[in-house]
Amino acid sequence: MGDYFSIERFLNLIPKIVPQLSVTFAIVIVSMVIGTLLALVVAALEIKRFPVLQQILKVYVSYMRGTPLLVQMMVVYYGLPLLIQTIFKIDINSWSPIVFVDIAFILNEGAFLGEIFRGAILSIPIEQTEAGYSIGMTGVQTFVRIILPQIIRIIIPAYGVDLIGVFHNTSLVFTIGGILDIMGKAKILGTATGHTLDGYVVVALIYVLISVALKIIFYLLDKKLVFERR
Amino acid sequence: MTFQFDNLAASLQGAVAYIPVTLKLTLVTFVWSILIGFLIAVIRNYKVPVLSKFLGVFITVYMGLPLMVALVIYHLLFLTYYENIALFFHISKSVNEINPLIVGYIALISTSVCSYSETIRGALMSVDHTQYEAGYSIGLTKRQTFFRIILPQSVPTIVPGLINNLVGTIKGTNLVSAIGIIEVMGGALYPCSRTYSYLEGYVAAALVYWLISFVLETIARRVEVVSNRFRRQLV
Repeated sequence: MGDYFSIERFLNLIPKIVPQLSVTFAIVIVSMVIGTLLALVVAALEIKRFPVLQQILKVYVSYMRGTPLLVQMMVVYYGLPLLIQTIFKIDINSWSPIVFVDIAFILNEGAFLGEIFRGAILSIPIEQTEAGYSIGMTGVQTFVRIILPQIIRIIIPAYGVDLIGVFHNTSLVFTIGGILDIMGKAKILGTATGHTLDGYVVVALIYVLISVALKIIFYLLDKKLVFERR
Repeated sequence: MTFQFDNLAASLQGAVAYIPVTLKLTLVTFVWSILIGFLIAVIRNYKVPVLSKFLGVFITVYMGLPLMVALVIYHLLFLTYYENIALFFHISKSVNEINPLIVGYIALISTSVCSYSETIRGALMSVDHTQYEAGYSIGLTKRQTFFRIILPQSVPTIVPGLINNLVGTIKGTNLVSAIGIIEVMGGALYPCSRTYSYLEGYVAAALVYWLISFVLETIARRVEVVSNRFRRQLV
C-alpha cells in the first residue's frame, strides 16, 4: 500500500489541477454577483409584501432552503431545456453545462442571500427611511444612499460565510459530466493514471487554503468596517 | 422528451421507500454531532490549555474542507486500507460485504461537528461573564455553575442555530450517494435508469427532501417555542 500515495505524484499533480481553479472561480464570481443582485430584489419584494408575490417568494425560499443543491442543480440541468423548449421552442441542450450550474447557483444564492439581506434591512430603524423621504428622496434613492451603506456593514460576516459556502458547493459540479473544475480534473486524472487519492488530496488542500484565506479576509474587512463595536 | 407523470409517480415511490435511510443518516449525525460538538465547545469555552488551541486550529482548517471532497477521500482510504484494519481486528468480512454507510457517517459527523460546535460555543459565549462569577460567589463548583447557571441560559440561543444546522445536515446526507449509499435521491433515480429520463427522478427527490425538511423544521420550531418559555422578557 506504500505506493498508494506518493509525494512525487502529488507534487506533479499540483500544476495540472491548480489552473482549473479558474473554472471554479468563474462559477463562484458569476453566481455571487448575479445572486447578490437577485437577492436584493428578493429581499426588497419580501419587505414590500406584494399580495400574491409574497406567497410565491415564500415557496421559492422554502424550496431553495429545503432541498439539496445537488438536486436543484440536476433539476435545472434536465428541466430548463425542457421548459424552454416547450415555451419558446428553442433548443438549448447544446449549451455548456456550466450555464446550467450558474443558473442553479444563482437561484440558490438569491434565496440564501435574500434572507440575509432581509434581516439586515429590517434591522435598520424605519426612521432612517422616513428621514430619507422627509428630505425629498425617492424610494430608490433612499435605499441606495441611506439604507444600503448601513446594511453592508451588518452583512459582511454572513456574506463571508455564504461566499465560502458557495466556494465549497462548487465541489458538487463535477457530478454533471464535462465540467473541468478542480474536482472534475482530479477525477479525470485519477481515472487516467489509476492513482485517485493524490488528486483529491491536492483538491482538499486547495479548498482548505482558499477557505481559510477568505475567512481571514472577511474577518479583517469586518474589523475595518465596524467602528462602533469597540 | 417530455415530462412523464407516471415516471414521476414511480420515482416518488422509490424515493419515499428510502426516507427511513435519509432520516436515520440525519438523526444519527445530528445526535453525535451535538454530543461531540458540545464537548468541543465546552473545552474551548473554558480554554483548556493545549487542547482548546488545537481544536480551534483544527476546526478552522477542517471547516475549509467541503463535505464532498472529504467523502471521496475517506471512501478511497476505506477501500484501500480496509484489508489491513480487518486483519488487525480479525474481521472476516471482505470489503464488498461491508456497508459503506460507516464511511458516510464518519464524513458527515466529522464535517458537521465543526459547525455544531461553533453554534454551541457562540451560544455559551453569549452568556454574560458575571453569571459565572455570580455562581462561584454563592459557592457553586465549576461544574454546578455550568450545568445550573450557564447552560440553561444558553439553550434558547443554541436551539435556533441547531435548527439551521439540522437543515444543513439533511441536505448533506444527499451527498453520500456519491459513495454508493442509496438514500432518497438514489431511490428516486432508480426507476429512471430504465427510461433514461432523469428529470422526473430529480423532481421527485426534490419534493421528498422538501417534505422532510419541512416536517423536521416544523418540529424544531415547536422545540424552539418550548425552549423560549422561560426566557425573561426584558423591557
